[in-house]
Amino acid sequence: MSNPVTIIMIEDDEGHARLIERNIRRSGVNNEIVPFTNGTDAVKYLFGSDGSGLVHKGNALLILLDLNLPDMTGIDILRRVKENTHLKCAPVVVLTTTDDSQEIKRCYELGANVYITKPVNYESFANAIRQLGLFFSVIQVPPAAI
Amino acid sequence: MTPDATRRRAIGQILLLAAGFFVLVSITTASILLVNRARDDNARVVHTVEVENLINTLLLDIRRAESAARGYLLTGGAEFLSDHEAAVSTILPSVGNLAKATSDNPRQVDNIGKLRAAVETRLDQFKREMEFVRQNQPEAAKALVREAAAGNTAGTVRQLAAAMSAEEANLFRLRTASADRSQWLAGIVTAAGSGLVIALAGISIFLVRRSSRARDAAEGLLRDSNLNLESTVDERTADLREANEEIQRFAYIVSHDLRSPLVNIMGFTSELEELRGDIFRRIATLARAETEAPTTPDNATNTAEPTLEGADKQLSQDFSEALGFIKSSIAKMDRLITAILNLTREGRREFQPVRIDTRELIEAIVSTVAHQAAEAEASIHIEPLPDIVSDRLAMEQIFSNLIDNALKYLKPGVPGDIRVRARTKLGFAIFEVADNGRGIDPKDHQRIFDLFRRAGTQDKPGQGIGLAHVRALVRRLGGTMSVSSELDRGSTFTITLPIRWAATNRNRES
Repeated sequence: MSNPVTIIMIEDDEGHARLIERNIRRSGVNNEIVPFTNGTDAVKYLFGSDGSGLVHKGNALLILLDLNLPDMTGIDILRRVKENTHLKCAPVVVLTTTDDSQEIKRCYELGANVYITKPVNYESFANAIRQLGLFFSVIQVPPAAI
Repeated sequence: MTPDATRRRAIGQILLLAAGFFVLVSITTASILLVNRARDDNARVVHTVEVENLINTLLLDIRRAESAARGYLLTGGAEFLSDHEAAVSTILPSVGNLAKATSDNPRQVDNIGKLRAAVETRLDQFKREMEFVRQNQPEAAKALVREAAAGNTAGTVRQLAAAMSAEEANLFRLRTASADRSQWLAGIVTAAGSGLVIALAGISIFLVRRSSRARDAAEGLLRDSNLNLESTVDERTADLREANEEIQRFAYIVSHDLRSPLVNIMGFTSELEELRGDIFRRIATLARAETEAPTTPDNATNTAEPTLEGADKQLSQDFSEALGFIKSSIAKMDRLITAILNLTREGRREFQPVRIDTRELIEAIVSTVAHQAAEAEASIHIEPLPDIVSDRLAMEQIFSNLIDNALKYLKPGVPGDIRVRARTKLGFAIFEVADNGRGIDPKDHQRIFDLFRRAGTQDKPGQGIGLAHVRALVRRLGGTMSVSSELDRGSTFTITLPIRWAATNRNRES
């Protein structure tokens, strides 16, 4: 029941990953962060070796997802996560550089919970991440014991 | 086939035709001449025969007169006398006829003279004989007959007639030969001319067939190239469209991927800024500990910003300056990338031609900038404008950019006067947005349409995107755009757009 939320961060840019992590930590969130720098590893971790996602049954996950990955697009990962019975409850935060309205729309249609544009203005970027941190701290991941 | 060869061939054919015509005319002329000559020759031959005939008739008449005279002498029969007189009466006219007929030949004229003299002598003798007979002196008449027979009068006449006959026979031969030659010549000329004409016709036929073959080949080529043209145009259009899409994608990806490192640079610059605070606070603390200076009033609280002194202060300022430059550059770069991104997004949007009430559209724009206009003490006049068929959003962007610019770059202290007017010409609407603002130096007229380029005093915010964007839009709408302006004399932007714009190929993406 009290499984701490694990944050899965799928972000190919290590700099971005570091900044995100720092700002999350700065906002007082100390949950475990599992970073991935490419889509393949992340998918393997998320869906397990059999691709069913059974490994994370009952685990509380939160996925931070970048759309531009070297080996696949984040959209694909998003779709697969939302189609998987075990993972679809995990909130997905799309964090990317694009503010293209069509792409945002598409992400929401696929079931993304939050879409955050990485702004170049660091203040607002840090703010966004910190607010996300607050969001994490209040979020109640439903006990996935269905 | 080169145009030169074609012309040469045409000239050749004309020459050939002219030659054929010339040959025909020559043959005709020569034939007419030769036929005439042959006719003349024949007439002369006939004439010769007639002359001979006349000579013989003359001789015969003389003989008749002689024999009648003799008969009369012998018998004294009146029928011999009348016969003799009839014969005598025809002799002189015969001589006259003969003289007339041979008047063209001097030798015959000579002969005729002698003949006439001889004939007259003989006639005189006849007259005298008859006279003697009538006076019943037959002896005298007989003596005279004998004298005449003994004398050479009759012989002379015969000889002269024979000479004339010989002359005529000679002429007959000559003239017959000449007539034959003329006919032969006519035949030769006709045959040669006909041959030549046939040859020319042959060459003509050959040339015509060759040129018609060439024309057929050219026609075939033309048909092929017509067929090819369509597909070539389609191919090129597809290529262009693809290239355009490629550029759009490229710009999109580039600006996208450029932003990503920028996020890092900005983020870690901010981290550095935080670190800088920490570092200099520590330096200040260390420095104070070293100098043991209790004079500083604010060391009662640790959290307060420690003051730095001398070289340290300078160092801190340099650090801040460097960070400031980095941050402002990042901000600028971000704006530029965003601008490119927006432009490419705009380029990917599909245009929809709709009927636009231009006046209403511009009035709406003017109402949105009414506040700015009031601040700048500017008035905007809209003159009658034609309605056009175009993309509404693009038109809005074009005119709002131009009106914005006009308001933005007014001359300080001079009330702005902005006019939007239009006229139509040959299916195009020519819009003008004129202001009385600061104007643009003619050397910058091209530059202002370039992306990220601006001109004049840089005292207003802006990226140098507006006009580039406007021009791109105008081009996509099938129009052109230009500016006429001088410094301090205001500017006039002219936009020419098709009144009925149908979405071009570029817009109808498959």
